[in-house]
Amino acid sequence: MARILEHHAKQIFAQVGIPIPEGYPAISSDQAASIAEGIDSPVVVKALVPVGKRGEAGAVQFAEDSRGAAIAASDLIGRYIGAYMIDTVLVEERIEIEAELYLSIIIDRDERKPRIVISARGGVSIEDVAQNEPDAIITDTISMSRGLPEYRARELWKCAGVTGPVMPALGQITHRLWNLFIQHDLRLIEINPLFRTPSNTIIAGDAVLSVDDSAIFRHPDLERITVPGSDRAWRPMTELEADAQRVHELDPYRGSVRYLELEGGNIGFLCGGGGASLLLYDHLVDAGGKPANYAEIGGNPTEQKVAGMTRVVLSKPGVEGLFVAHNITNNTQTDVIARGVVTGIRHAGRDPSSLPVIAREAGLHDDEARKIFEEAGISYFGEETTLAEAARHMVAAMTGGGSR
Amino acid sequence: MSRLIDASTRLLIQGITGREARMVTRHILAYGTTVVSGVTPGRCGQDVEGIPVFDTISHAVQDTSPTASLVSVPPAATLDAVAEAIAGDIPLIVIATEGIPQHDVLRMIELADEAGTIIIGPNSVGVIRPGDNVKIGAIGGEHPERAFIPGKIGVISRSGGMTAEIGLTLRLAGHGVSTAISVGGDALIGSTPATLLAGFQNDPETDAVVLFGEPGTRFEEDVAHRIAAAEFTKPLIALIAGGFTEKLPEGTAFGHAAAIIEGDSGRPSRKRKSLQDAGALVANSLDEISGLLDTALTSSPER
Repeated sequence: MARILEHHAKQIFAQVGIPIPEGYPAISSDQAASIAEGIDSPVVVKALVPVGKRGEAGAVQFAEDSRGAAIAASDLIGRYIGAYMIDTVLVEERIEIEAELYLSIIIDRDERKPRIVISARGGVSIEDVAQNEPDAIITDTISMSRGLPEYRARELWKCAGVTGPVMPALGQITHRLWNLFIQHDLRLIEINPLFRTPSNTIIAGDAVLSVDDSAIFRHPDLERITVPGSDRAWRPMTELEADAQRVHELDPYRGSVRYLELEGGNIGFLCGGGGASLLLYDHLVDAGGKPANYAEIGGNPTEQKVAGMTRVVLSKPGVEGLFVAHNITNNTQTDVIARGVVTGIRHAGRDPSSLPVIAREAGLHDDEARKIFEEAGISYFGEETTLAEAARHMVAAMTGGGSR
Repeated sequence: MSRLIDASTRLLIQGITGREARMVTRHILAYGTTVVSGVTPGRCGQDVEGIPVFDTISHAVQDTSPTASLVSVPPAATLDAVAEAIAGDIPLIVIATEGIPQHDVLRMIELADEAGTIIIGPNSVGVIRPGDNVKIGAIGGEHPERAFIPGKIGVISRSGGMTAEIGLTLRLAGHGVSTAISVGGDALIGSTPATLLAGFQNDPETDAVVLFGEPGTRFEEDVAHRIAAAEFTKPLIALIAGGFTEKLPEGTAFGHAAAIIEGDSGRPSRKRKSLQDAGALVANSLDEISGLLDTALTSSPER
């Protein structure tokens, strides 16, 4: 799920009439100062990075005037929040707050329905509230065909203990949030905090939007403003990961691939399909192996794609072996995998007969796969070798213990 | 309904004229499954492997009375195809398509729930019943017998590939499969493992079930609840992959909503524990499955 940064998300809010504080992005302290000057009130300076809990990370600062805004901006810009460097900040009017509410809509995959979550106890500690005072969280599923009318939204806010002159605005904003959820194919839309001011207006203090990657084809406008690779939340995409994505996009409709670079390790990991690769990684670790990456390739990929992924996996410094294993395939041609792996090893400038490589491939055309692997000097195992045994062979091959 | 499919299953294939679908149709027919019709709008009058192609489900239903549909159409067209099958009162829909917009999946699930239709998938490699030579989908490929032989073990798997690998493991250990179901590799699917247990509970030809689980969702926890509530009383052997993902750097969650509604369910270690606590047998690898089955089947009163 691709994330949309706060300033873009707030523009989307403003377009449908969800009130937001006045604010603009800045890439320098001078710019931050002139924005604060224009807003002419105390401001908040927030780092624009696709990570949660920015407040706790010190990525949200308060300033009384333009000079304070400049200081906050120069402190933030260039700093890292998690693995993301701050290059832009949002300078925003500071809202006078009477109360902080919480509002979100998410896909509940267990109930298989959209779910709305609200609370009168919003703010940074909402997760503690959920944990310790579950009654303070009001939640309900929503029918895709019936949607979320304003009256239903008001009923839910009433259950959450909210009453008074804000009721109509809350009903409206909640209904508009639902419309955005549907209109943009969102997986998550969240406002926390949702401010209530002393004069009883409601203003979105933050805006979290996450777009469904598989629906992005019908939202070209959103594609421009999402942060690519931000579903791997703990850091931006690495060069090798971008390389793997390019390999995939050369022929996006044949086969599926995923590549996740990990720290350290010496075993290049190229397995599949989705479930078997998870299991094979567990087995490799259980056997004492140190994978350098996690990569999954399946769905009958082309030889070119397998070769490209093999090259990417072997390109990571410190990789001294390669583990290629799949479950017995339904329709994936194992001979195509074999050819791709052998070609990829050569493209990476390695010699398949001296690099420790273990291949466990069973299923369609595995007689041919065996021939290709063995002619290249690669240790091949078929259906008689279990996935756990193949992982142990890999670890043995790395320690020079031989694999046969 | 104790069995999703059996010898009486009459299959319709939506998107039958596609490249992948043609190959899958050939394999399904070769296995011995009854395929009665295909649907591709605009291709009425053609045939694929001798199977007549219709423009609409309504026409195909009228002429060929299908009891199940395999959906193999592009992601953007899947919601409409599934809605058409539901409108045609086809009781079982297996969706092979991967990468369908999540809101479309929500809509098709809502339609199916209202109509009482069973959806398997999306992103399912299919369902197979070796004793009746019936399969819906690519499951087992061209040579299903390499992985699936007739027997008395049910299989429910969140991974299509692992459905076959489990079948192979069982065959090499001298066991066979009653019905194997690939529920679909996505987190948002029509039939969850827990809801499919009832069919295996009521199927006299199933003695035990093997479940393959993965990180994310509460699917395995829900299975544990069914066992604890004695709604499923046959032996269940579970293999949960992806324990290593718990040791990866923790991504900062974007927003709080997921944490509020899911808590820390979804972790493989938690799934294993809830299953164990409920009385399921939890394997560490496929290598242990045969031993666990033998123990369970000799001591089980259900036998």
